Amino acid sequence: MKLSTSAMVLALSASAVLAEDTVTIEFAYPYSHLFDVTYEAMMPAFKEAHPNIEVKFRATYESYEDATNTVLREAVAGNLPDVTMQGLNRQAPLIDKGIAQSLEPFIATEADFEKDGYHEAMLSLSTFDDTVYGLPFSISLPVGYYNMDILHAGGIKELPQTWDEVIAACKTMKANGIDNPIFWGWNVTGNWFVQALLWSQDSAIVDGGRVTLDSAETLVALEQMQEIFTECEMQNLEWKSALSSFSAGDIGMMFWSTSALGSVERSQGDFELVTGPFPGLDGKPKGLPAGGNAAMLTSTSDDPKVREAAWTWLKYITSGDGAAEVAKTTGYMPPNKAANEIILADFYEQNPNKQTAVDQLPLLRDWLAYPGDNGLAITQVIYDSIERIVTGDATDMKELQQEMVEEVADLLPNG
Amino acid sequence: MAVLDMGVAAHPKPNNHEARTAWGLAAPALALMFLILLVPVIVAGVLSFTNYSLGNSGFDWVGTQNYERLFTRSTYEKMFIATFTYVVTVVPISVGLGLGAALLVHSLGRVGDIYKTIYFLPVMATLLAMAIAWEFMLHPTIGMVNRTLAMACGSWFEVIPFFANGCHDGFPLWLGDRDYAIWVVCFIGVWQGFGFNMVLFLAGLTSVHRELYHAAEMDGARSGWDRFWLVTWPALGPTTVFVVTISCIRAFQVFDTIEAFWPQGGGPNKSVYVMMFAIFEKGVQQNLIGMGSAITVLFLIFVMFLTLIQRRLVERKVHYG
Amino acid sequence: MTREWWKHLVLILGALIVLAPFYMMVSYSFKSPGEIDRGEGGFFGRQDVMIDPRCVALRQPDRADIEAARSRFPGQDDAGVQAELQAETEAACSMRPVAFNYTKAFTEAPLMRYLLNGVIVTVSIFLIQVVVALPAAYALAKLKFWGREAVFGLVLFCLLIPVHAIALPLYILLAKLGLTNTYAALVVPWTISVFGIFLMRQFFMTVPDDLIDAARMDGMSEFAVVWRVMLPTAIPALLAFAIFSIVAHWNDYFWPRIVVTGNRDLFTPPLGLREFKGDGDGSFFGPMMATATVIVTPLIVAFLIAQRRFIEGITLSGMK
Repeated sequence: MKLSTSAMVLALSASAVLAEDTVTIEFAYPYSHLFDVTYEAMMPAFKEAHPNIEVKFRATYESYEDATNTVLREAVAGNLPDVTMQGLNRQAPLIDKGIAQSLEPFIATEADFEKDGYHEAMLSLSTFDDTVYGLPFSISLPVGYYNMDILHAGGIKELPQTWDEVIAACKTMKANGIDNPIFWGWNVTGNWFVQALLWSQDSAIVDGGRVTLDSAETLVALEQMQEIFTECEMQNLEWKSALSSFSAGDIGMMFWSTSALGSVERSQGDFELVTGPFPGLDGKPKGLPAGGNAAMLTSTSDDPKVREAAWTWLKYITSGDGAAEVAKTTGYMPPNKAANEIILADFYEQNPNKQTAVDQLPLLRDWLAYPGDNGLAITQVIYDSIERIVTGDATDMKELQQEMVEEVADLLPNG
Repeated sequence: MAVLDMGVAAHPKPNNHEARTAWGLAAPALALMFLILLVPVIVAGVLSFTNYSLGNSGFDWVGTQNYERLFTRSTYEKMFIATFTYVVTVVPISVGLGLGAALLVHSLGRVGDIYKTIYFLPVMATLLAMAIAWEFMLHPTIGMVNRTLAMACGSWFEVIPFFANGCHDGFPLWLGDRDYAIWVVCFIGVWQGFGFNMVLFLAGLTSVHRELYHAAEMDGARSGWDRFWLVTWPALGPTTVFVVTISCIRAFQVFDTIEAFWPQGGGPNKSVYVMMFAIFEKGVQQNLIGMGSAITVLFLIFVMFLTLIQRRLVERKVHYG
Repeated sequence: MTREWWKHLVLILGALIVLAPFYMMVSYSFKSPGEIDRGEGGFFGRQDVMIDPRCVALRQPDRADIEAARSRFPGQDDAGVQAELQAETEAACSMRPVAFNYTKAFTEAPLMRYLLNGVIVTVSIFLIQVVVALPAAYALAKLKFWGREAVFGLVLFCLLIPVHAIALPLYILLAKLGLTNTYAALVVPWTISVFGIFLMRQFFMTVPDDLIDAARMDGMSEFAVVWRVMLPTAIPALLAFAIFSIVAHWNDYFWPRIVVTGNRDLFTPPLGLREFKGDGDGSFFGPMMATATVIVTPLIVAFLIAQRRFIEGITLSGMK
């Protein structure tokens, strides 16, 4: 008898707790193959800490381009999610259109934001006009992935430091019978690698509101790419195919974002994988663009509870706990310093491949957005131009540069 | 296609009640036809002369700028080449294979039914699913196709230059190769569509009267080839025209495979940048509605033109045939 | 009989090519990532127990976890405890490939919901198409009224406009009305089937007038005539039309891709499969093939059961 009354009391109190409003927020992120694990790993702890908040996941975005395109379309249709993850280079257009909202009001209510690990340098990546619009979630830098088994079989003992050394390594490997020595990630989102080659020369692709594709540094970059693609006879693989080929052990060297490291390590075949710093043009690179994404608030809800819940989620995923998961499951670097307190003390010793990107942090530069409304179209034009180098369709780099500048000019705002 | 049958006999003037009822019954259909089919065509036509971007409050009239770009920029040149290559390849082959399969299956009688079923499966299966299956088979290293081709290395197959190159340098990337990508997409298009054509031809074949064959034999047509030329082919006239038109329109509308294989860009070097994909990329992904509308207008013109030709041809045949 | 062997040879060769991707799709839905990479294992795969790498990645230990587990493994240093935890995780994350593939297919994304959406969308489209087309076809076939030729001419003109061709302006209109990402957006553009009107009209014209006159004499309104008299006679044609419509809209990818942006609740089966494909992780080929198999199976099974009706339906589009 006593048991059943206490059971009833329990049931009543449980239903009382449930009757308390559960707030639902809608959330979307890109690159499911990288981040599905990450968010899945975070959910149990989040649910414990905030049982009243339900996070509804929307379909994942294909890429950062898809993320921006989808949010722009949803803004027109009145269907925005509450929180969205956007590429670092795609924040500016959303802010200009008023789709992403300022986080300053929320930060003002925080007792000790700095102490929670959110340091100045981290926030600066999402600060525009002295206002914070996003919280960076994951940061990446370009690195080299090396299949040491193939390199050794090809007679190469040391990791290349410059592109000339990379090309020499290609030739050595080809001479020793390796069919597929290299994949160079030209087709990565947002023309990131083009910006990498430009930052390596300390040159920005957008300077003072002007796109600098007509510069001498751009020509150097185009010629360097042409040299790599032709001398190494690089195959025109789609980047997902290339990642799976590399994981299967079919490619010798892969130059890509450190972000895929977690995914590659999980699916790799039986070979020794080592990452090395991104080679430079002559000597070390002078700068490298920061890859990765930030969490932005795009909620159109008037309900303060929903906005509060969105902020809670924003803070959680970028906090020490969230950032720790990022470090554990991907190759991204956690921007929040508090993460280092949570993950294993010798995490980076146990995962030396993830250390490579961290070592390159002093070179960190912005991943730049193109001015005006047509950033996505401009990205496509540059992508198409580089592809013509890969397929051998374009052989005169000066001509290619000229055509590229013209087509991009079509898409820039007048004046 | 059946001739337009007016069927209006000499009746006294229709009464108002009947007329009102008729309009009432047809009203929903008429309203929807206007809203869903006719209004969008006009909207597309109007917007093709602007630089409208969804989400902007206003737009500018740019005259024929979009159309000029369509006919001068190399990107759109690639679009036309890709679309026409696809149509000109897929239509004859899928119609030919459909006809061939229909003839073979028809001549086998009941035994042929199993083939009919098998050949029709690709038509039923979700193209996206099968495209992904094909994409996997065409993966450069772990795909079944290249693996099977590699098995021929070290044998007499190497006499053929394709195999010699393949065994030495590695077989083509298929979907990553700007020379092969369009043909792969054409192949999948034929694979998916010829079963449909086969079924249509089979229906046409069953309606060819047996007596015609007897008559032809009387006239000295002995071999199967003669019978085909003298009886079957002419009798299949209307069916063939219909099959070709439907195949053309379906070929123009190809999209699923291209978007699935290359979510961005329309194939290596835009070699598979077909019109439907261009509309999607320009209008939906890049939000350049003006440009997207211009391509839409052009597309509609092509399709309408084709269908009108088909109707003209069939009417002529029925009249004289 | 002997002359026919070459026909069979040709047809069988064709059948092999036609069936190859189906074979591969189903076979890979049974295999583990390793077997897929190396292309081994026969049709069903060896079904050796495999370890789910994502499951292991989810359970990587933090400092706190190691602290908590220390009591369970006395006498071990941190590295030892970590190794023990790893072994436990691997044991918990082991399963047979076919179970892995199909459970992932249903759990990674709400596949059941997608299939349900497929049913909702195709059935809604068909029902509305019938409700719209049948009365109009009857009016055009059997009723006389001023403007009948004009209306029929309009129908013929609209036959020239494939809905896919005007997807962009339709999308703009829907976006302006705020109707994207709704069932309405998925269904409404297809509710007018001009082809259906044309088909039914041709069919109705063959129905003898006496039947209709008799019904009128019984006091039936024209509206009732459509549904009580014409519909029953048209069942075979309607059935064939139904099949044609349902197949086309179950498999439609272009329109849903444009009109649905992120809300998984609205995904139709092809969109669901596409979401899966977005995965660059090699370990997900198996579940992706499992999803593809699940999506393709309903129509194929239905087709195998009711072949004749299917082919009639498709052929009817040729009887124009």
